[in-house]
Amino acid sequence: MHIPDGILPATVCAAGYAAAAPVTWYSVRRINQRENPRADIPKASLLTAAFFVVSWIHIPLPPTSVHLVLNGLLGVVLGYFAFPAILIGLFFQAVMFQHGGLTTLGVNAIIMGLPALVSYYIFRMRNILEKKSQLITGVFGFVAGFAAIGISVALFLVILLTNIPAELDVATERTAIYTLALAHLPLMVIEGVFTGLVAVFLQRVRPQLLDSI
Amino acid sequence: MVRLRLVTALVWLLVMLALPLTAYAHGVIVDYMVDTTIKIVARYDTGEPMAGAQVVVYAPDDPAVPWLTGVCDEEGCFTFTPDASKPGIWVVQVRKAGHGGMVHIPVGESVAATTGVGGFSVLQIVLMSMCVIWGFVGTALYFSRRGA
Repeated sequence: MHIPDGILPATVCAAGYAAAAPVTWYSVRRINQRENPRADIPKASLLTAAFFVVSWIHIPLPPTSVHLVLNGLLGVVLGYFAFPAILIGLFFQAVMFQHGGLTTLGVNAIIMGLPALVSYYIFRMRNILEKKSQLITGVFGFVAGFAAIGISVALFLVILLTNIPAELDVATERTAIYTLALAHLPLMVIEGVFTGLVAVFLQRVRPQLLDSI
Repeated sequence: MVRLRLVTALVWLLVMLALPLTAYAHGVIVDYMVDTTIKIVARYDTGEPMAGAQVVVYAPDDPAVPWLTGVCDEEGCFTFTPDASKPGIWVVQVRKAGHGGMVHIPVGESVAATTGVGGFSVLQIVLMSMCVIWGFVGTALYFSRRGA
C-alpha cells in the first residue's frame, strides 16, 4: 500500500504534502491541549516501532501478497498520536528500505494516517456506552481495524486509478490495481481481528491505556 | 578429327576442374557488431517476481517519450537491445498496480557488461530494523523515566 517514488506526478505528491501538513498540525495541537502532552510518547514511540517493522510481515494471497499495516491499531491505542506516529514510521521505511518514498511521503501519510484517525473516532464511540464489556471492546476494535484498512485501500485505489500514465497499457494496469485491492479484503478481516484482540487484551491488563486517549 | 576430340576433352577437363574452383571462389564476408542486450529482473523486496509488470524504456535523447514498452515474463524478466547509436543513460521503469521502480542503465562505448543489483541482504535489513527499533525503544525509555 506504500506508493513509491516515480509513480505519481509531482502535483499529486505536492498535494499529498499539502493535505498531510494540516492533519499533522491538528494532531499535534490536540496533543498539546492535553494535561500532559508527553505522557503518551513512550506508547506512541513503541507503536511507531511496531508500525515500522510490521510491513515486513507479508501474507501470501495468490496471485499477490499483502503486508500488515496496523494503522487501525495505532488509531485505537494512540488517538491523535497516530498520525504523527505513522508519518515518522513511513519516513523511516522510505529512507531505510525504499518502502514508499520521500516524494510520496505526504500521500502515503494520508492513505494510512487518515484512516487511523477515523478508527480512533470509531473506537471512541465505545465511550457512549456505559457498560464496557470485553465483547463490546472487541467489536469496536474489530470495526476500527477493519475500517482502517478498508479506507486505506479505497484511498489507494482512487489515487492510483486517477493517475495512470498514458504510456502504460491502462486496462492492464487497472486490472492489476483491482487485483491488489481485492487481495486486501482478507487483510481487513485479519487486521480487524488483531485490533479487536489487542483492545480486549489491553482492557484486561491495563484498561487505563485505552481510556486515556 | 582426333585433334578436335582432344580439344573437346581438354575443354571438358578444364570445365570439370574449374567447377569446384568457381564453387569455392566466393568470398566470404563476416560482419560483426557488438549488441548489448539488457536484461531486467524485477522483484518485490520479498523476492517475489513482478510477473506481468509493465516496462517502459526511455532512450537518453528523449526522456519524455517511451522508446519501448513491454511486459515482464513470469520470472519478472524483460530483455531488450538498446540502440547503440544512442549512448547515455537509458531509463527503464517497471510498474505494476502502483508498485514499481526505475533503473538508470549506462549504455556507451566505455561501458562493458555491467550488472546492477538493488536491495539489501536479509542481514542488512535485520540490522537496520534493529537500529531503528532501538531508536524508538530508547525514545520510549527516555520519556517514561521518572519525573519526565
